[in-house]
Amino acid sequence: MYALCALGLVISSVLGLLVPWMTRDAINAVSAAREGSASGPGRLLRAVELLALFAVLHALFRYFSRRSLLVAAREVEREMRRQLFSHVIRLPMPFFHATPTGDVMSRMTNDLGAVWLLLGPGLLTLAGTSITWVLAIAFMLRISPMLTGMSLLVAPLVVLLSREYGRAFHRQHRKVQESLASMNATLQENVSGIRLVKAFTLEEREEERFAVDCREYYRRNLDVARTSAAFHGAIGFLAGVGVAFVLYVGGRSVVSGTLSLGGFVAFNAYLAMLAFPTMAMGWVINLFQRGNAAMGRINEFLRLPVESSESGGRAAREAGVPAPACAAGRAVPRGEGAPPYLLEVRGLSFSHEGGGRGETLRDVRFTVRKGEVLGLVGTTGGGKSTLFSLLLGFYPTPPGTILWDGRDAAEIPLPVLRRRVALVPQDPFLFSDSVLENICFGRETPDPAAARDAATLARFLDEVEELPRGFSTVVGERGISLSGGQKQRATIARAVCAGSDFLLLDDALSAVDAETEREIFEGILSAKGERTVLFSTHRMASLSRCDRILVLDAGRIVEEGTHDELLSARGTYYDLYSRQMLARELEDSS
Amino acid sequence: MNSPPDAFFLEDRAETKGVDWKLLRRLLRYVVPHRGILAGALAALACGTACQLAGPYIIKIIIDRHITPGVLPGMGRWILLYLAALAGAMGFLYLQMYAVSVLGQRVILSIRREMFSRMERLPVSCFDRTPTGRLMTRLTSDVEALQELISSGLVSTIGDAAVLAGTAAILLGMHLRLALVVFSVLPVLLLFVELLKKHIREANREARRKLARLNAFLQEHVTGVSVVKAFVQEGKSERRFDRLSEEYTAENVRLTNFYSLYFPGVEMFASVAVALLLWRGGVALIAGAVTFGTLVAFLEYAQKFYNPIKDMSDKYNILQSALASSERIFLVLDAEVSPEYPEPPPGGQRMRVERAAARKPASAAIEFRDVWFSYPRAEGGSADRPAEGSPVLRGVSFALEEGRTGAIVGATGAGKTTVLSLLCRFYEIRRGQILLFGTDIREIPRRELRGMLSLVLQDPFLFSGTVLENVTAGGPAVGPALAAAGVDRFAAEWDAGLSTPVGERGGMLSMGQRQMVSFARALAREPKVLLLDEATSSVDPVTEARIREALPGILSGRTALVVAHRLSTVLSADRIFVMHRGKVRESGTHAELMAEAGIYRRLHSLQFGEPPRG
Repeated sequence: MYALCALGLVISSVLGLLVPWMTRDAINAVSAAREGSASGPGRLLRAVELLALFAVLHALFRYFSRRSLLVAAREVEREMRRQLFSHVIRLPMPFFHATPTGDVMSRMTNDLGAVWLLLGPGLLTLAGTSITWVLAIAFMLRISPMLTGMSLLVAPLVVLLSREYGRAFHRQHRKVQESLASMNATLQENVSGIRLVKAFTLEEREEERFAVDCREYYRRNLDVARTSAAFHGAIGFLAGVGVAFVLYVGGRSVVSGTLSLGGFVAFNAYLAMLAFPTMAMGWVINLFQRGNAAMGRINEFLRLPVESSESGGRAAREAGVPAPACAAGRAVPRGEGAPPYLLEVRGLSFSHEGGGRGETLRDVRFTVRKGEVLGLVGTTGGGKSTLFSLLLGFYPTPPGTILWDGRDAAEIPLPVLRRRVALVPQDPFLFSDSVLENICFGRETPDPAAARDAATLARFLDEVEELPRGFSTVVGERGISLSGGQKQRATIARAVCAGSDFLLLDDALSAVDAETEREIFEGILSAKGERTVLFSTHRMASLSRCDRILVLDAGRIVEEGTHDELLSARGTYYDLYSRQMLARELEDSS
Repeated sequence: MNSPPDAFFLEDRAETKGVDWKLLRRLLRYVVPHRGILAGALAALACGTACQLAGPYIIKIIIDRHITPGVLPGMGRWILLYLAALAGAMGFLYLQMYAVSVLGQRVILSIRREMFSRMERLPVSCFDRTPTGRLMTRLTSDVEALQELISSGLVSTIGDAAVLAGTAAILLGMHLRLALVVFSVLPVLLLFVELLKKHIREANREARRKLARLNAFLQEHVTGVSVVKAFVQEGKSERRFDRLSEEYTAENVRLTNFYSLYFPGVEMFASVAVALLLWRGGVALIAGAVTFGTLVAFLEYAQKFYNPIKDMSDKYNILQSALASSERIFLVLDAEVSPEYPEPPPGGQRMRVERAAARKPASAAIEFRDVWFSYPRAEGGSADRPAEGSPVLRGVSFALEEGRTGAIVGATGAGKTTVLSLLCRFYEIRRGQILLFGTDIREIPRRELRGMLSLVLQDPFLFSGTVLENVTAGGPAVGPALAAAGVDRFAAEWDAGLSTPVGERGGMLSMGQRQMVSFARALAREPKVLLLDEATSSVDPVTEARIREALPGILSGRTALVVAHRLSTVLSADRIFVMHRGKVRESGTHAELMAEAGIYRRLHSLQFGEPPRG
């Protein structure tokens, strides 16, 4: 493909360079005619005809070579984008906590763009310029070697100047970007802190601060403008000096008869043709430097190890380290012939890397049997969401601490592990897509019937049908926005629709009223014994239908039992429960 | 002319319409103050173009007077003249480019500042409803697009236009019939450009749209990556991403196709013009009707003439998107400001307040009389009349005497914070009256009103800058404020002391330190009334201790209204207002309210006390 492009480029360059050559022939024919040659007018016509023909052919070849090369570069870009995306979404969760979204976005947009500029226009210009250079000089040498040598004396200067300009431009442009960032930071601060600005009548002060930023930005921009203007002036002058040179020396040669008038004119045309590619070289060098740097940043991401889908979730991290013998996949016997627990957590301690912020878990242990409904309560920051994340294998856990059907989670491939459960996260995140697509997110292809069933169960169906386009209504950024309660029910429908019979609900009904919550629970539990549910909630009333309740406080399970057992224990659960009852009483007392 | 404040977050309009002259005229109004620079730029442009166009003519003279007749003496002079013209052209080019940049940057500077001032005066409700991202886009990307028009588009467009006009004039002047030969391909060329221009513009817009969708998808899947992982849908997301990427690539390929056709095409037409020129000119030359020099000069001028046409399509694109941006910019500039701006004329009003305060010394510092309020709703309702949500306050009435501390307590959503916002006049109330020292706050000029109040928000938001700058932003009484809030004590431990930068949003300080700095900022104002919204979320023990230590000193002897979440704060208040479902249901001292056995007592045991046992 690239070879064909190169061939096309060569042919088109040759054709392009033949145009001034024909001009030479035409003028020489005129000269001959003026001196009385009878063949003059005929030669003129033939030269002109050839010129037009070459011009048309040149355009044709140029079109094809340009097109094929740029399209090829676009294809490469697309392939890279695909690779990068599939790599990034497979990176482990800690990566997303450590990397700002803006950084990921910038590598996938700006950096990828820089790489495309290198592969497309950059390569095209480099190839085109090189070919034009070599061929133009060949033609020029044929006309006059002496003139060629002299006129090209300025060429290195032009390249050098362009490169210097490219560097200066890049440097100054970075400063422009820096002051733009500072200006935008002030802006952002004022948007977020508008209440304080108004409360303290800081409008004028902030205006002044913003004006300082603006003026800095203004100056930086003018620096760029000055450099750019100076460069254009200087380069134009240098090119003109070359022309003046050719005029003088070439003129003398014409007079002395060593150069034809046509050759003289054609030579000037070739020189003009070289001016742009020479300038472009500076630009191309810059493009390559930037593209290279961008490629480096992209590779930084591509080199990060992804979550393994083959072996256990921890394989990537602990490659080569044998798992401690304690758990390594054996079923842990629990009495004679009893099947292993569906889920067993034993001695799970965890804190986020970097420590300090976030929830930690300390020696958490509990078991879940198939068909059980387990409630999880506790104070904010007690570790509920962290526990859910760990069950899904979002973070590496010590081997042998989480067992599914007696098998160490570390041994289970992550996709298999995650398909065992369906999570309803605390933050009801929906994609900007149709309701149908959102509810069927966990399926390979959307299934309207399944979506209806799931929406019915989540008490969401009536509202979906009232939406302008029903299940096809687009929600989110590009569509209509749903209320918090609607979003939560959509995420419940999504989890139900995913087909797993183990539901994890992370405080998933906080924005839904108590009556609807009860109905949803009825729905989820109607096929009791088939679905296993682990849910955390702040609403204690929903816990009464649990088989067992776990009370999580400061990362530990402090109590465990049925609602009645825990109430009579008069511990943490009792405290939480009586507070909430009081609050409800208060609510009702209006 | 004023548009409703919501209008500027309407979706982007399609950029299909042509050049809107009304918009252009409005943009031009920003140029008027800099007409001196504009005149200079135009003068430089005229001189530069003249010098530039003199070049080929000098070549013609050199050929006709020296090269063709073979007369060498004197040729050097013309060469020097050529160089001088060239130097002039480039010198003027520099001046012109720089002057246009200065002009453009100044215009942008004033638009940017105007926009910022306008933004600062928009009602707070605008900020509640508009996603920060979209507002930022208006204030940044749109202005950038306009700047792009000016810095790259305008500068070269003006230059190109001058060269086109100048070349045409010279060609016509030198030899009418040959000039017509040069122009002969023009109609076909313009038709070609026009045909492609439409496609290029459309493909460009489509490509940008596809890119926006691609990026939105990307952003969404990065933020929602945990959902993708939880449902093991990496494969599906990847396929959908690649489909969007494919659409974007396809649009780009289409665009590449047009561009690949465009540039070689224009060049081909130019070459055909040269061929025609050589042919007709050659024939005329043989007949002796023109000189060699004329023909050569014509060849040069023809090049200069066809070059600018190459970029025409790009320039038009830039102009289009810049106009679309400026339309959105003007929407912000036309947005209606909050009713407390602009200031009523100073003087009269101010006196009234003082008089009022003097006349009624015994009246309450703060009084709410049957205040009804609901937040404007984000969705629903037409743009000019936002639908009202359900009322947050339903007839709130209470009064607080001067020098006393009042604590507002109540369950979440009872409307406590709203009371503080309304007192600051961030929103307009629907019904009733809010009085400050006996005067309706709507009659107090903004500066006066907010000068009397000092607000401490739940989230201790600090501006980037130093600790001292943040406190100074509050008011003049910096020293006592620093001491009262205990900022001086912990600042003394830092190397830079009070000049320590707080970082973006105060991120370099601990939560407790931020809280203290925001107290100091509020006190530096020497406010008549301190408004304090205590943080609901539990803070770390160190912060808790700090606040508990500092608060009594801050509150004692001051008129203060506190949304209280801390038992110690409630107990130290002179008066407690119990809010429930948008009304003040009980008020009194702690002892009184506890005796009443009403909402307060239950609330108290819920929030602060041990839960009742048994």
